[in-house]
Amino acid sequence: MTEAVVVGQDVWKVYGSGNTAVPALQGISVQILRGEMLAVMGPSGCGKTTFLNCFSGLDDISRGTVTIEGTNIHAMSDAKKSEYRALRTGFVFQSYNLLPILSAEENVELPLLIAGRSAREARAEARGILNRLGLGDRRAHRPAELSGGQQQRVSLARALVAKPAIVWADEPTGNLDAEGSRDVTTLLRELNREYGQTMVVVTHDGEVASQCDRTLRMRDGKFVDGA
Amino acid sequence: MASVSVVGAVLLLLVLVGLITVALALRHRLAFRLAIRNVRRGRTRTVLLVAGLLVATTIVSGSLIVGDTVDQLVVHYSYLGAGFNDEAISAPSATGGNVFYNYSVYTQTVSLAGAHPGIAGIAPEIISGASAYDLESRVPETGLNLIGVNGNQSTALGAFVADSGTSLAGAAPGMVLVDDQAASALNATAGQTLVVYGIRSAPLTIEAVVQDNVRGAFITGGLTPGNLFVDLATAQYLENATGSINYISLTNTGTQIEGADASPGIAAYLNTTLAPVLEPYGLTVQTPLKTSLDASTQSGTSLVTLFLALGLFSIVAGAVLIVGLFVMLAEERKGEMGMLRAIGLRRRELVYAFFFEGVIYSAGSAFAGTALGVGVGYLLVYLAGQILAFEIPPAVFLQSFTVTGESLVIAYVVGFLLTLATVIVACRRASRLNIVRAIRDTPEPPPRLRTYTFLAYLGVLCAVAGFLLFFGTYRGSADISYPIIGGSLAILGMGLVAARFLKNRLVFTTAGFGLVVWAGFEPLHTDLLGTSHTGGIFVLFVTGIVLITGVLLVFVFNAPTIARALSHLFGRRTDSSPVVRIGLAYPTRQATRTAVSLTIFALVVFTMVATATFGSIASASLDSTVQDQTGGYSLFGYSQTPIPDLWGMISSNATLAPLFSAGVSVVTASIDVNVTGFAGNPYRDQMYAPPPNTTGPSSFYATEQFSFAALWRGMTASETWSDLATNSSVAIVDQTYGPSSTASSVTGTTAGPAHPSVHVGDTIRIATIRGAQPTALTVIGILTTSSVRGVWVNPGVAASLGYGEATGYALTIAPGVDVTHAEQQAKIAFFPWGLVLIDLKAILQTSISTTEGFIGLLEIFVGLGLAVGIAAMGILALRAVVERRREIGMLRASGFTQRMVLQALALEYSFVTLAGIVIGVGLGLLVAYNLTVSAGAVSAGFGTFAVPWVTVLEIAGIAYALVLVAIATPSLRAARLSPADAVRSTE
Repeated sequence: MTEAVVVGQDVWKVYGSGNTAVPALQGISVQILRGEMLAVMGPSGCGKTTFLNCFSGLDDISRGTVTIEGTNIHAMSDAKKSEYRALRTGFVFQSYNLLPILSAEENVELPLLIAGRSAREARAEARGILNRLGLGDRRAHRPAELSGGQQQRVSLARALVAKPAIVWADEPTGNLDAEGSRDVTTLLRELNREYGQTMVVVTHDGEVASQCDRTLRMRDGKFVDGA
Repeated sequence: MASVSVVGAVLLLLVLVGLITVALALRHRLAFRLAIRNVRRGRTRTVLLVAGLLVATTIVSGSLIVGDTVDQLVVHYSYLGAGFNDEAISAPSATGGNVFYNYSVYTQTVSLAGAHPGIAGIAPEIISGASAYDLESRVPETGLNLIGVNGNQSTALGAFVADSGTSLAGAAPGMVLVDDQAASALNATAGQTLVVYGIRSAPLTIEAVVQDNVRGAFITGGLTPGNLFVDLATAQYLENATGSINYISLTNTGTQIEGADASPGIAAYLNTTLAPVLEPYGLTVQTPLKTSLDASTQSGTSLVTLFLALGLFSIVAGAVLIVGLFVMLAEERKGEMGMLRAIGLRRRELVYAFFFEGVIYSAGSAFAGTALGVGVGYLLVYLAGQILAFEIPPAVFLQSFTVTGESLVIAYVVGFLLTLATVIVACRRASRLNIVRAIRDTPEPPPRLRTYTFLAYLGVLCAVAGFLLFFGTYRGSADISYPIIGGSLAILGMGLVAARFLKNRLVFTTAGFGLVVWAGFEPLHTDLLGTSHTGGIFVLFVTGIVLITGVLLVFVFNAPTIARALSHLFGRRTDSSPVVRIGLAYPTRQATRTAVSLTIFALVVFTMVATATFGSIASASLDSTVQDQTGGYSLFGYSQTPIPDLWGMISSNATLAPLFSAGVSVVTASIDVNVTGFAGNPYRDQMYAPPPNTTGPSSFYATEQFSFAALWRGMTASETWSDLATNSSVAIVDQTYGPSSTASSVTGTTAGPAHPSVHVGDTIRIATIRGAQPTALTVIGILTTSSVRGVWVNPGVAASLGYGEATGYALTIAPGVDVTHAEQQAKIAFFPWGLVLIDLKAILQTSISTTEGFIGLLEIFVGLGLAVGIAAMGILALRAVVERRREIGMLRASGFTQRMVLQALALEYSFVTLAGIVIGVGLGLLVAYNLTVSAGAVSAGFGTFAVPWVTVLEIAGIAYALVLVAIATPSLRAARLSPADAVRSTE
């Protein structure tokens, strides 16, 4: 039986307090299996991104527990969480969030350098994955000199280069046209199979979800289907 | 300070700008409403902007107020010193003081001019030097002013006021009035007996100690030396001048101001009316009060020029900050501006919106800056009072603190217009946005070929203008700034043309190096431009701007290489550090923003370091050249009557003999010097003629240790002096006669050919101050001393001019003897001859500490610019937190800890700040070094390069520490951003 990498138990996230309290996550419990490619879908404002932030450790939770690879992520100090993110997780965002002052290659090198790898190693690995993603000839370009699809590929390369256990992707195709969207989705699927990494993809795009192993649907901060 | 016409003109300009703004606001109401909304919506930002913008106005306002105060101070001393002496009839004597003439000149003056309705009184006087010895306090004092005038003839000059409050018309026969200054020096009080020594001596009773009011402070303004007032007959007795006077004082009707205003007219009348009476004696009519008042305005203006010139760096730094701020505002509002453009708002309206916003900020900041300038002016005046406390009571400084309405108006309008002009430039740049790129927040593409073509045409214009300016001014006596500006424009222009065809980095790096070499390599100026250019403090500004532009071009176009080199320099670990990568990536790849910060910091630090080093060089040069300046002598002096056989008297005096190792007498007198080509001929100077004895401690030739800056035809120093001792056709001059000095130009110590300039081998003509006995002499040596000023001649030459008696002295104290003790003993021993001694070394040391104090004052003033740098860094850091939220979020998501974010930001701002500091320090030292190797550096007192390392480190440390403080809060905010919020941020 495949082990659960991420286990969430009765997870609550409440923004504000008193009369203005807004429960974004309402007692979510979920298990995400190793090597699984999971889609989380739902209408705008249902809590998809909050789910991603809370389960990946980017944001704190109000109640409950989230364990990743057996460790309670929210019990960690900020420094430990940072270290964990550097070594075990990768992120892909809708707006790419590449550093505009760095080249594609330097953006990809960054997680490796943060993880303590040498500059030479980081460069070699960054080139390898950029070549793998078809961006070998664009590695010296800055983000502003790349198309949206290319930027998202660089973002993918950055998320995957340190070979993290889990990749969290928040609307990775949200800013792309249909062709670019298909391209990135296919790539995600291929990489998931190739590297065996767990991927959690938050999306409202059915095409993307259809490529995943499992789909969870959210509404009003709860999973309504598939959990 | 400012004339009414200037104030009127600037006010008119302000009204014009106001009217245009109102008209535009009525016509472009939407833009005006947008501007008002933008000002209101970010109060903290508005405060920061106003703080950043007010620097220029503060500098202008502070400078003008310092000028006002100095004017007021000098006016104060002019009124005190000149009193009601509106016109004076006298003639200078060659040995100092005035020539004596018959009392009948006074009676004829009264008879010919006394009826003039503008003249209130005419007083015959004797003004001379005297020594005095208080029999009760047993304190001697030499070098006092002796003023002989009858009370009944001088009522128009005002009354003396005794310290007890009693009014006195003048001293009674056999009595003396002692002013506060002299009383303090003699420890004298009313009723004591004073033995007064002129040519003859007499015991006189102190009738009263009088206040240094407009009467008691005559000539000196109440400063050293003090005054002794006696009746005319007593003065005639003391000066052995029965029946003679040497000064006639005329007082005009009305107040001092009215009297001074009427003075030129009355002086002209007197010159005409009294010509037959005055001419036989060589007498002239002067206007002491009017002349002194006119000079006082000049003093204030010079100081304002100095402060403004140094402040220009901060003003430019402020202008760069304004452009940076507005570009940043535009970036911040790019999205909304893009939307406004998309829904139909014209580009012009956006420009107007920025313009109106700029007008509001400029008006507010100019107001705040003017007010702050008053505070800065007060601080400067207070500090100046402390520095000059040894000469002028600090309270007088503060009492003179003056803020004129004219200065405030000028500061406000100049500050407002300066800020507004910069804002308009920034507005145009800010409004040039592409709608789509603005809405999508994508960066602007690199300039197109068309832009480079336009820049190339601009470059041609720039180069042509530069070459014309250079070739029009590179020879001759024009201000040296012009050829430097011309050359710099030519280099920049050629760079712009080349950028059309070659890579930017290559072109602008070359142009940058070109500018640095052109402005920073002093021998190039000497060889190419010669040494006859004039200049002023403005040269420092021009050189500084050109150098900083050059270094910035090199830095900005090579920043990534520099960053890489630094990474490699600090080892592999640094190269792999993500903190270093991120920290260096922003400043090295955001050229415009980095250039703004660097420019500001480099300008400010450059000015501070250059100012501090100039002071250090001046002090060190004085210090290291005391031997050269004094010729090895400890004391210089003069006596009222010749001391026969000075050294013989010292040797035979048991008290003095062990104190001195040498004592020489020199014939000295005032002469007129004529130098071919000098516009100010004749130049009034001092003549020295050492007697021909060539051996022993009484021989000048055997004891002098002066060194030479230039010698004729390979002669040695001793051969040169020997030649002077035997040859009646040669002369030796002091260093101020040396070739005109670039050093003087840079430091503004000369504003034109105020002093004749000669080379060895040149011929000068000397004559008595009445033009008699003109004698041609060949200059065979130029001394390095500029403290003992004048022309050294053979005694035979002095005798031919009518001067044979030695009244000048130079003494060397024996080893281990306290100079003050020796000076006091010599003054006591030679008191009857009225020996006045000067400790030149002590004066030089006072000069050093005054220079250091004044430089400290200037440093504080130019340090105002630091506020610009700090504001710039603080605002940039604040802005960075806002605009980089998502990037910071991504870094945090990728594993950056809070500490790493902090470290990266600290490294980023440290890199920019330290680079600015290094550039500023380097260039400041370079400019200062150039001063020491420039032509005439020694004569201008800048011969020794000395770096004030402690001050430089303090400047660098304080600047860096303040930046760290300024960025601390924004950096902490950035580090504490929640990664989840940050990655989703849309500002």
